Amino acid sequence: MDLKFTAEEAAFRDEVRAFLRREITPAVWEAHRDLAEQGMWTAEFTKAFRRKLGAAGYIGMGWPKEYGGGGRSRVYQAIFWDEMEYHRAPGLDRAITYIPNALMALGSEAQKAEFLPRIIRGELSWFVGYSEPEAGSDLANVKVRAVEDGDHFVVTGQKAFSSDAHMADYGWVLTRSDSASSKHRGLSMFIIDMKSPGITITKYPTLAGWTHHAVHFDQVRVPRSMLVGEVHQGWKTVMGAIDFERAALSSPGLVSYQFDRLLAWCTKEREGGRLIDDPLVQDELVRLAIEAEGAKVMSYWLACLHAKGLRPQHETSLALLVKRETARRLDVSGLELLGPFAPLRHGSPWAPLEGEVEVEYRDHLYFQFAAGGFDITRNVVATRGLGLPR
Amino acid sequence: MDITIDDDQKMLRETAMAFAQEAMTADAIRALEGSEHGFDAKVWRKMAEMGWAGAVFPEEYGGAGTGLLELALIVEALGQGAVPSPIYSTVVEAGLLLLDAGSPAQRDSYLPRIASGEAILTTAIAEPSGGLSPAGIRTRITPAGNGFTINGTKLFVRDAGAAEAIICLGRTGDNETDLTLLVVPRDTPGLKIRRLQAAGGEALWEVVFDDVNVDADAVVGEVGGAWSHVARLLLRGAAMKSAELVGIGQASLDLTLNYAKTRVQFDRPIGSFQGVHHHCAEMYRDLEVSRLLAWQAAAALGDGMAGDRETFIAKAKTSEAIQAVTRTAHQIHGAIGFYRDYPLELYYHRAIAAAAAYGDAGHHRRALARMLRENLGRFRGESSHELPVHYV
Ligand SMILES: Cc1cc2nc3c(=O)[nH]c(=O)nc-3n(C[C@H](O)[C@H](O)[C@H](O)COP(=O)(O)OP(=O)(O)OC[C@H]3O[C@@H](n4cnc5c(N)ncnc54)[C@H](O)[C@@H]3O)c2cc1C
Repeated sequence: MDLKFTAEEAAFRDEVRAFLRREITPAVWEAHRDLAEQGMWTAEFTKAFRRKLGAAGYIGMGWPKEYGGGGRSRVYQAIFWDEMEYHRAPGLDRAITYIPNALMALGSEAQKAEFLPRIIRGELSWFVGYSEPEAGSDLANVKVRAVEDGDHFVVTGQKAFSSDAHMADYGWVLTRSDSASSKHRGLSMFIIDMKSPGITITKYPTLAGWTHHAVHFDQVRVPRSMLVGEVHQGWKTVMGAIDFERAALSSPGLVSYQFDRLLAWCTKEREGGRLIDDPLVQDELVRLAIEAEGAKVMSYWLACLHAKGLRPQHETSLALLVKRETARRLDVSGLELLGPFAPLRHGSPWAPLEGEVEVEYRDHLYFQFAAGGFDITRNVVATRGLGLPR
Repeated sequence: MDITIDDDQKMLRETAMAFAQEAMTADAIRALEGSEHGFDAKVWRKMAEMGWAGAVFPEEYGGAGTGLLELALIVEALGQGAVPSPIYSTVVEAGLLLLDAGSPAQRDSYLPRIASGEAILTTAIAEPSGGLSPAGIRTRITPAGNGFTINGTKLFVRDAGAAEAIICLGRTGDNETDLTLLVVPRDTPGLKIRRLQAAGGEALWEVVFDDVNVDADAVVGEVGGAWSHVARLLLRGAAMKSAELVGIGQASLDLTLNYAKTRVQFDRPIGSFQGVHHHCAEMYRDLEVSRLLAWQAAAALGDGMAGDRETFIAKAKTSEAIQAVTRTAHQIHGAIGFYRDYPLELYYHRAIAAAAAYGDAGHHRRALARMLRENLGRFRGESSHELPVHYV
């Protein structure tokens, strides 16, 4: 066991930090946040920044060389993700975290040849079309239909809760291709070009203040070559892809950032002195620090297991759970430590920390139920990890 | 970076686990709890034969020169098997203390015999003040003739009944850390010991020093220079108890999973109910985080890093989390687990004792809070981050 980064890893971390500090300055943040979208990065900046990441060689750094990657260990990738989250840089989403992994593992040679080079250059945005109004946790219940028609499939129906669909070049979409067979059998996964005729997108505001989307498919023709994996075997494909997704979501950078920001707030001189001199505040900060350390160690442990060529599975769910639960604890304590300032939003001259804590308290709410929320993850850990009967 | 154990460590761990499961029956373990020594000398000899008593000592003393992580893997296994042994008193406390601070003569006379399993030694640190801070040490050491006289009462001394010598911490001056360590043979006149009735498998003793005289060569380290060594001892103890707690938690989870899969109520195994799924997932979550933090602490101390931050975090986390794990284990077992002859009770008791040893969760959180006030940067550890956007 070696807790410390190697000299090369540490140098890489410093390099990424320097890159991010240079690129994500307060001025850049001010210039490219979309205030109508609760201060999220604009779609344009996100796309431009992803290309920059591509040009700097960060996207494919952990991919095998045969796919044009840097062939570096997963520890480097973990460092990169950690720093990206910590600096709240845009572009660290499915387009560079798990879609490429899923493609490498599950895609056809033609699909890899077509998409991986563009992904590694940071050119593509994706939306993931799993959920539907009737298919949330019960994902095998999807109803969007794909009907075979010569060398095409014709896709019709509605996807729900489709993050970033408005800026997506492609969809990674789970469909029902055979309604006669059992729930888990008749599914197929497709890559769908979002410029295809028949696709419309509806906007829904979220309580976090930004806009989410639903995607409608009306007789959208998808070439058979865009089928991922085998026809009617989509359940296998999606389960494989979801493992990559959970691994990607467990990075500890967010948690470290939340903690450091809270610490900064607590050391500030206030009316009656510094919060950090209050024993109750100290106890709370210490408890948070302990949880944050747990999230960090678990995330890097996962990266080290991957780096050794092992394939952690339920451990991945566990790491995701630890990270997200810790983030939620930080949200709750953060709001409490802001005291009377807690509800003040960005734009108010008195809003502490630019109103971020209040936004995150609302935004991270979805950690509790989306993409392996708390209860569903516990189910996965209990059945897949601990072998308890269903 | 490699936050995993290597193949040799894995093998050691498996050997230790297998040994700990086989070494003693639950009845034999229970029978020892009231006994004078609290451990089985034959089992300790076997452990010494496997090299565990000497593992962490250099080869010149008959050891294998391994790191503290290896010792952590051993105590984790012993915790999992609920096997009592003098490994804390003799190796974690006295042995490593002598290695750190002992004179050449002290090392030569004790370390090889500790490594071979012949000698049991222990340390007497804590007092009725309860705390583990230097200010709480009242035991007086006064110069007398060619040596010293000791007066005072020590508590929670491990294995005093079996030890040939006790290394005692006492006050030699008025400054808070004017403290000194002396090796005192157990049969020295004026030294009285009394077994404490306590939860968990370890034999804990009260040791009273009533005008106990020792020679000048009994000093371990330097007169007045003991505290830094004791602080290191306490850190090592806390890191090892964190690992032991992980073993206790693992055993509790294993028993629970086994039970949940076989106990049928409402015509189904109770392990198929979602409430039970979620309880078990919680236990496992806490256990895995605890394990990583405990390993991290042991590795940090062993790597010659300060290791204090890692150890405070590990002991604070494991002390709370593993006690919670044992409570949830009982939740799932229902009435059967409440009976003395069901093995879960062993772990329930051991978690109480291990959580209290070398500083409970609150003690370590307090230490972290001090670090927080005095040295924010260190507190963040590796991530010497600067905040990306300027708030302050
Ligand atoms: C911000 C955000 C982004 C998202 N992005 C995407 C996206 O890009 N692509 C996409 O496909 N989907 C996306 N989703 C949808 C997300 O995957 C779903 O929210 C998730 O699958 C849960 O489905 P549901 O919300 O319909 O909840 P439901 O399945 O209706 O569940 C409701 C509640 O019941 C609980 N529950 C359900 N079943 C069980 C059970 N068996 N045991 C215990 N508890 C249970 C759930 O945990 C939840 O708390 C997104 C959601 C959000 C909020």
